[in-house]
Amino acid sequence: MHLEIYGDRLCAAVAAGAFASTGNQVVLRAGAGPVGQSLARGQCPFREPGVERLLAEQQASGRLLLGALDEGPDDSADAVFLALEPHELEQALELVRRIGAREQNRWLLINQSSFPVGSTERLQQELDAVRPAPAPPAEVVSLPDLLREGTAIEGYTRPGHWLLGCVSLWAEKRVREILRPFNRRRDDMLVMSPREAEFTRLAITGMLATRLSFMNDMATLADTLSVDIEAVRQGVGADPRIGEAYLYPGCGFGGPNFSRDVMSLASTLAHSGVGSELLEQVLAINERQKEILFRKLWRHYGTDISGRGIAIWGAAFKPGTTRVDNAPVLRLIDALLAQGARVRIHDPEALPELMEHYRGQAGIEPCEDPYEAAREADALMLVTEWKSYWSPDFDKLRSLMNTPLILDGRNIYAPEHVRECGFEYYGIGRG
Amino acid sequence: MWKKLHKHAEEIGARHLHELFSGDEQRFERLHRRTGPLLYDFSRQRLTGETLELLFRLADERELGDWIERLYSGERINSTEDRAAMHWALRMPDDSVEPVAGQTLLADVQAQLERMERIVAQLHAGQWRGCTGEVIRDVVNIGVGGSDLGPLMISRALEDHRAPDARELSVHFVSSMDGSQVSHLLHRLRPETTLFVISSKSFTTVDTLYNAATAHSWLSRAMDSDDSAVLRCHFLGVSAQPERMSRWGIRPENQLRLWDWVGGRYSVWSAIGLPVALITGMEGFRELLAGAWSMDRHFRTTPWRDNIPVLMALIGVWNTNFLDINAHAILPYDGRLKYLPAFLEQLEMESNGKSVTRDGRPVESRTCPIIWGDVGPNAQHAFYQLLHQGTEPVTCDFIAPVLRYREGRHDAAQQELLPQHDLALANCLAQSRLLALGEKALPETAPTDLFRRYHGNQPSATILLDELNPYSMGALVALYEHKVFTQSVIWGINPFDQWGVEMGKEIARSTLDMIRDGGQGREQVDGATLGLVDFIRRQRKGEE
Repeated sequence: MHLEIYGDRLCAAVAAGAFASTGNQVVLRAGAGPVGQSLARGQCPFREPGVERLLAEQQASGRLLLGALDEGPDDSADAVFLALEPHELEQALELVRRIGAREQNRWLLINQSSFPVGSTERLQQELDAVRPAPAPPAEVVSLPDLLREGTAIEGYTRPGHWLLGCVSLWAEKRVREILRPFNRRRDDMLVMSPREAEFTRLAITGMLATRLSFMNDMATLADTLSVDIEAVRQGVGADPRIGEAYLYPGCGFGGPNFSRDVMSLASTLAHSGVGSELLEQVLAINERQKEILFRKLWRHYGTDISGRGIAIWGAAFKPGTTRVDNAPVLRLIDALLAQGARVRIHDPEALPELMEHYRGQAGIEPCEDPYEAAREADALMLVTEWKSYWSPDFDKLRSLMNTPLILDGRNIYAPEHVRECGFEYYGIGRG
Repeated sequence: MWKKLHKHAEEIGARHLHELFSGDEQRFERLHRRTGPLLYDFSRQRLTGETLELLFRLADERELGDWIERLYSGERINSTEDRAAMHWALRMPDDSVEPVAGQTLLADVQAQLERMERIVAQLHAGQWRGCTGEVIRDVVNIGVGGSDLGPLMISRALEDHRAPDARELSVHFVSSMDGSQVSHLLHRLRPETTLFVISSKSFTTVDTLYNAATAHSWLSRAMDSDDSAVLRCHFLGVSAQPERMSRWGIRPENQLRLWDWVGGRYSVWSAIGLPVALITGMEGFRELLAGAWSMDRHFRTTPWRDNIPVLMALIGVWNTNFLDINAHAILPYDGRLKYLPAFLEQLEMESNGKSVTRDGRPVESRTCPIIWGDVGPNAQHAFYQLLHQGTEPVTCDFIAPVLRYREGRHDAAQQELLPQHDLALANCLAQSRLLALGEKALPETAPTDLFRRYHGNQPSATILLDELNPYSMGALVALYEHKVFTQSVIWGINPFDQWGVEMGKEIARSTLDMIRDGGQGREQVDGATLGLVDFIRRQRKGEE
């Protein structure tokens, strides 16, 4: 089939690569911004594992071509994917008007953009409005982007399930045909209305965020009750009604999608006049949680950390990504710098993005080597649980640091062991 | 001149305001003035051009020009306390010439502004931390009198000019010594996220220190941190007495200073104005100072006939001393100026509520009238009845902004709010017209029933601000300050002391002992005090 994919988002690139790899003819149309420029230069704008190779292979095969966002699609296209950013709704409407006016085709638009709830319907209305009377109908469906950064390709090609928001049998049939290679083991497609599909994606994120904030609240309580939250987490996760996922307490969640979706859900509820005290609390707890390591340090040093050297391991909002959007590390660094502390930070991938964020700011220094960051530090804060941080050379660390103090924002170390190695240790909810 | 004015008052005092207006279409043109963001209309005062000429001569006779220069030279014109009165120096632009040779006023003032700026920036950035490391969200100003009324009045007035990064900060005020405000507030706040500003020029004011002690215990009870952390993270001090602040426990880096040469009721321009800056940001606070400074320049350099504070003062003297009007109402037609009447009550009555001249003799004429007020539209439903049909002559200041609801925050509701402002302005103009002209302001069908008649002839002034913003607010407050000073010169009194207040504080101390443990000092007090103290003690015993 011939597919055209519009957008700058990771989802656009992954979809383009995935569909090309199963034999489709694909045109990926990114915008004129950095993502498009980087693709045009033959580079991969995403640090997502496997994406660079996938795109390169498919381009080499000739099945994946690049195009411009404001051009196309070709009349021969069997489906047009939209994977645009939330602020690009206007571009999507423009594209819909452009396509709709061309009457000969029976268009299928598959919306994977993270627009507000109801946007797919709005696109459909726009399409209907410009459609001349005798032309064949055109359909817009919603196929929410459920990718998780770090495992995006796997998530697209072997998903647990697909959510499809669609009211037309013809459109459903064609989507099933397009997704057939990725929906093989059994039929995992849940079909509902576009609005329901869009809302489901937000609700999933809201639920996950709620679990995390709930566990963070429990961790705070555990600290005051001298209980180790890790034991509690395992016990809670063992209950089949609850399950193990998203129960890890830590120093807050972030990322470009996760927090944005929760915020979007909260603001959708607020604008609809319903409001959601729960989600507002979930977000508020998370924002507080981002500063939890700071608070522990602040109390440890008797409310004065001016001039202290602080080492930070990990800046990315989670392992496996270069992104620092809404990452806990930003709140943490802001707090440390505002109190006159000096920060030395290591991250295997995210330092360029982080240092771009802090361009021109004094008091923060990026380090190529994690041990270098810890040199003469009065504390080491573990913020992102990259695998390379799980088993450090504690003796070396202790000898490098001014004060052997570890604040573990992801509970990856065993408190007993770290203490035996001569450190003071603070985790999240570890009593 | 005084006698001439009395004679003149006999000649024209009986003329009703509607007579003064009738056939004189130029009266408003002649009798209003404009400076900066203000318009002052005094055409509804019971005076003529000749009255003004006589009043200007009175000002000359009392050497007003000379006194203004003495004020601005830094001379110790607060003679009973041997201090200068240099609140004006707080609003000098930083490129001014040092006003008093050999001193470093300018540098001292700027240094404190910079210190304020650092504190405001830290709080606005959400980076002022309590002792558990949480972000401070609530700031409570503990002060009374000048350390309360000025910051309270102006920060509420400028709420629409809240700095964008002050969005999440709430500013509260606690003043009353009986603890009702502080206990009400503390029930609603979280200790971890609350910062207290203890504002007291002398740092001995018992009202403030009791409230501060209550706040301190509240924090200590709630948090297991050691006391030095609590003091470091949760208390700022503003005072002219750094040693006393230190002794109380305010950390040096948390101290803001003012100086003996700033009177309490003139101190909002100093670090006492911190709550204002927390709302408007330092940029807004500097605008406030600039507005006041523009009024300083106007006051110093403008001839009497165009000098608005001087005109206001002289007309006030005319009303008090020659038309025998002893009550003056402050009527802002803008809910944001809710606390302006209370502020001006202190400014005027604490300054000029005196009966001894600068050379130590009893005054021979009345001084400051009784001043009170409320938001005009609300007062219309309260005490305006007395203004319209009572037996007391009262003068009024009507105050209103011309433009409103232009700030971004009103975008959504602007369509509904603008007509409300129009309604308030219409009421402002209508009330002053009816007060001045009485039933002559009405169509010719005057009712015969006496209870429906309006005698009118109540003089008033109208002050219009182009818009209520930091700059115009600064100009308005400085206007009243200079009015008060000018009147003190005419009356020959010192407006900068307040001995009447001091004595009350003194005897409260001994009375407190009596209430607590009975015996001491009973022979020195009057029968009423004894009777009341005994009743209080008996009631309490009964309860135990």
